Amino acid sequence: MAMVDEPLYPIAVLIDELKNDDIQLRLNSIRRLSTIARALGEERTRKELIPFLSENSDDDDEVLLAMAEELGVFIPFVGGIEFAHVLLPPLESLCTVEETCVREKAVESLCKIGSQMKENDLVESFVPLVKRLAGGEWFAARVSACGIFHVAYQGCTDVLKTELRATYSQLCKDDMPMVRRAAASNLGKFATTVESTFLIAEIMTMFDDLTKDDQDSVRLLAVEGCAALGKLLEPQDCVARILPVIVNFSQDKSWRVRYMVANQLYELCEAVGPDCTRTDLVPAYVRLLRDNEAEVRIAAAGKVTKFCRLLNPELAIQHILPCVKELSSDSSQHVRSALASVIMGMAPILGKDSTIEHLLPIFLSLLKDEFPDVRLNIISKLDQVNQVIGIDLLSQSLLPAIVELAEDRHWRVRLAIIEYVPLLASQLGIGFFDDKLGALCMQWLQDKVYSIREAAANNLKRLAEEFGPEWAMQHLVPQVLDMVNNPHYLHRMMVLRAISLMAPVMGSEITCSKFLPVVVEASKDRVPNIKFNVAKLLQSLIPIVDQSVVDKTIRQCLVDLSEDPDVDVRYFANQALNSIDGSTAAQS
Amino acid sequence: MIKQIFGKLPRKPSKSLQNDSNGEGGVNNSYYASNSSTTSISKPSSTSSKSSSASGSRVANGTLAPNSMSSNRNTNQGKKPLGGDAVVQAGPFPSSGGVYEALPSFRDVPISEKPNLFIGKLSMCCVVFDFSDPSKNLKEKEIKRQTLLELVDYVASVGFKFNDVSMQELTKMVAVNLFRTFPSANHESKILEIHDMDDEEPSLEPAWPHVQVVYEILLRFVASPMTDAKLAKRYIDHSFVLKLLDLFDSEDQREREYLKTILHRVYGKFMVHRPYIRKAINNIFYRFISETEKHNGIAELLEILGSIINGFALPLKEEHKLFLLRALIPLHKPKCSSVYHQQLSYCIVQFVEKDFKLADTVIRGLLKYWPVTNSSKEVMFLGELEEVLEATQAAEFQRCMVPLSRQIARCLNSSHFQVAERALFLWNNDHIRNLITQNHKVIMPIVFPALERNTRGHWNQAVQSLTINVRKVLCEIDQVLFDECLAKFQVEEVNKTEVKAKRERTWQRLEDLATSKTVVTNEAVLVPRFVSSVNLTTSSSESTGS
Repeated sequence: MAMVDEPLYPIAVLIDELKNDDIQLRLNSIRRLSTIARALGEERTRKELIPFLSENSDDDDEVLLAMAEELGVFIPFVGGIEFAHVLLPPLESLCTVEETCVREKAVESLCKIGSQMKENDLVESFVPLVKRLAGGEWFAARVSACGIFHVAYQGCTDVLKTELRATYSQLCKDDMPMVRRAAASNLGKFATTVESTFLIAEIMTMFDDLTKDDQDSVRLLAVEGCAALGKLLEPQDCVARILPVIVNFSQDKSWRVRYMVANQLYELCEAVGPDCTRTDLVPAYVRLLRDNEAEVRIAAAGKVTKFCRLLNPELAIQHILPCVKELSSDSSQHVRSALASVIMGMAPILGKDSTIEHLLPIFLSLLKDEFPDVRLNIISKLDQVNQVIGIDLLSQSLLPAIVELAEDRHWRVRLAIIEYVPLLASQLGIGFFDDKLGALCMQWLQDKVYSIREAAANNLKRLAEEFGPEWAMQHLVPQVLDMVNNPHYLHRMMVLRAISLMAPVMGSEITCSKFLPVVVEASKDRVPNIKFNVAKLLQSLIPIVDQSVVDKTIRQCLVDLSEDPDVDVRYFANQALNSIDGSTAAQS
Repeated sequence: MIKQIFGKLPRKPSKSLQNDSNGEGGVNNSYYASNSSTTSISKPSSTSSKSSSASGSRVANGTLAPNSMSSNRNTNQGKKPLGGDAVVQAGPFPSSGGVYEALPSFRDVPISEKPNLFIGKLSMCCVVFDFSDPSKNLKEKEIKRQTLLELVDYVASVGFKFNDVSMQELTKMVAVNLFRTFPSANHESKILEIHDMDDEEPSLEPAWPHVQVVYEILLRFVASPMTDAKLAKRYIDHSFVLKLLDLFDSEDQREREYLKTILHRVYGKFMVHRPYIRKAINNIFYRFISETEKHNGIAELLEILGSIINGFALPLKEEHKLFLLRALIPLHKPKCSSVYHQQLSYCIVQFVEKDFKLADTVIRGLLKYWPVTNSSKEVMFLGELEEVLEATQAAEFQRCMVPLSRQIARCLNSSHFQVAERALFLWNNDHIRNLITQNHKVIMPIVFPALERNTRGHWNQAVQSLTINVRKVLCEIDQVLFDECLAKFQVEEVNKTEVKAKRERTWQRLEDLATSKTVVTNEAVLVPRFVSSVNLTTSSSESTGS
């Protein structure tokens, strides 16, 4: 055809495609920028493609986002790291667009490129870019600037460094809260690159300003900086400069700020060291555990174990435990749930006697909580307590809780408890399991909800793994196989599912003697769905059993099925037959 | 009972002195002063605070002996005193010695005493009660409410200008009561079932019985001719305004309604604050647009701005145009924009009506944020577009008509019949039809394929018949061009797969070229080339699929 011979101008193709009305086509062509670049060669990419892209920042945000991403990995296509600077102008203009996602991606790409650039290139092109953005008239540019200071700062000259610090300090005091927020959230990153002498003198001053901001949205981002800065400072400076701020923040009038403190407290404790944790942060933490706002209590409750790990048991019992008791009957279920998810971890910290004395009543009350998540969270961490006080003290309350969860109206709750059954079984031991839980496991196989039945089948497999084939032969297999005569075809199908999962665990012998006859019997079921599942199951059994069994039993059964009136049954039977032939062919 | 309590109050000499003066009928001492003096006295001595709490408990018992001195004062007031435990969260002003008692009514004191009484009542109202438990401090809450109501009357009817002290105290009282952080939203989901419910009821401010009256006081104060803006700006300052603006995020619609009225009055009265208020509102918008997408008060803020824009002088200042460009137009982007779309659209149209030269900027802005999947939002956009086009002149229309027509063409083909219908209704508007007719040479080729596709197979009957009408309109404008478009459409339909195949071929050739070039050049790029070619195969297969 004639058009194949048309000369090909890569840039023209791109320009043409980017003019298209269909955004999908424009996106596709941006995604293939590297092809165009390679077709152009490095030099023309630098001289033609990149300048064109710098001009083309007026497209849909989605296209710009793709462009920002592509440019981040474009260094090889412009001729390597010494030419990386040509990529800066298009990214710079993407840093100033209105849409946040695009700007963030452009900043990410700039960081990627900047961190590879050589020192003098940084000084020559990257630092000026940072300064331009930081001085941008519109907040978008200044917000973007905050995210790339840390890249520019490393490896530039002392004079420039002084200038960059001064500029950043300006951004921290910017007129617009948007910019101050960006400065606050990037301060920690920037601080890691700044020399320790300037850390105290300059960075901390910026930090202090931010912590006193009248917008709580700025203050709460400053909290995040606390931990990061604390790790950089010498311990005594940290105590002098960071600790008062944390204590202050823990009493901030905005709950969002207090929430951030609660969330970060552990890291903050690490930063200020154990002594100050004991003297200053314990009271702050206790306040947060008793905060008026549930969100704060949720965050604080979730850290209770981590926090106690930093203290000695006496302090924990004296100060934290009373709060924990209160929280265990908190009016918010989410607080109780957060507490339940971590409280078991306190047992190893407090030791056996204290756990029995103080924690056990709390465990028991949480196990009886009206909200299933709370009970589930306790059960999921049972192993942690088992190691310390054994399970006997709990088992009395445990069983009713498990049974109730197993029959909960919400299938997600039932699903969650099934997931924990193998854990429970291993913790409680075979005896306990046989008596109480075995029946439940079978009951789940006949649940109304498919996900539960599926999980139940999987559970049987995990139990067989846990307790071994012999035990499973006694306690699981007969019950499962009984179900094969169930009038409901979905339940009969679950038998097949359970077999397919258990067969690899049980091994060849049991599969042949116990499972296979049942499966073959099922192949004569009147429901086609059962029959083609038999075909699928047989296929999966092939690698488990001996070749002789395959040839004798399985093949015959499949051949019968392959003549079934139902098309799906025939299809899967033939598939299975093919795989037999395939495997024999491979073996020979 | 009232008497009983007074009898047990810790009496300081200064206080009894005031009481004496009460007895003489002249409340000459300021209640504010008396209150503060009691606090300052009771604070350092632990005994006095003890006794006050004791008095509180005894109130409950009600077994205390009457005291003649206090009874005198009580008859004056006709109010019940209350126990000290009442005070839950004393604001900056500690509840005097622990007893929360009503002060005399304004009616019962001479005019000269009213300002002092006013301040006394204001500082009384600085005590904030806990409304999370409705059964707590019922009496105290009622006293405060009554006091607040008296303050409303006083502020509304006062016959002389407010002085520094009263303004300071009033704004302080307002700040203590109103400036609070809102609790988190997902608070009350105690029962599992609630999780499943989609429609969340907006939470109502529990302290509304007090908060409302405080708003009423602030409103009357700001609106009062007795409030001198030059003096009041010291108290209603930037920080006050900023905190007032923060409150717009309240979930309680009643509260936002008050805020709207008050902020509007503040804007009207305090000329000096106008730029600051505009800037602060902008900051709220920016944060909403690019960070949170969550704010309850956008509609109310826009309503205020609507009337502010209405008052802009012509020619428009650059600042205001930037506001349109950087805040108002991007406000079309957030998911929840339907909540405030009506107010937003009003603001936008105001701008275009003020200065028709802004029309193409606005239209391009709308096109930039045009919804992709949200049909109901799209219908709103079309509505707004029509209003903007109403105010658009030919020159501006010509500047944006190509992308505009493309978007309209897409809307015409929408499988959501309301979108298609709304787009077709644009032709019912005389002004818009004129604009289209004048520029039909450009527009017809763009929208024709969409119309043709609709007539051939839009599922909705109404859309079909409306399309046929519009098609007829176009046909009547220029029969020759119409036929050309039809012919071109038919050719394009035939060539569709060919064009697609050609695109594939071009990219394939580019790919080959790229591979051949990189092989020739250095090996250093081998790894990235490999990676990107993998990307390419996947992306090209995607595009074939689409």
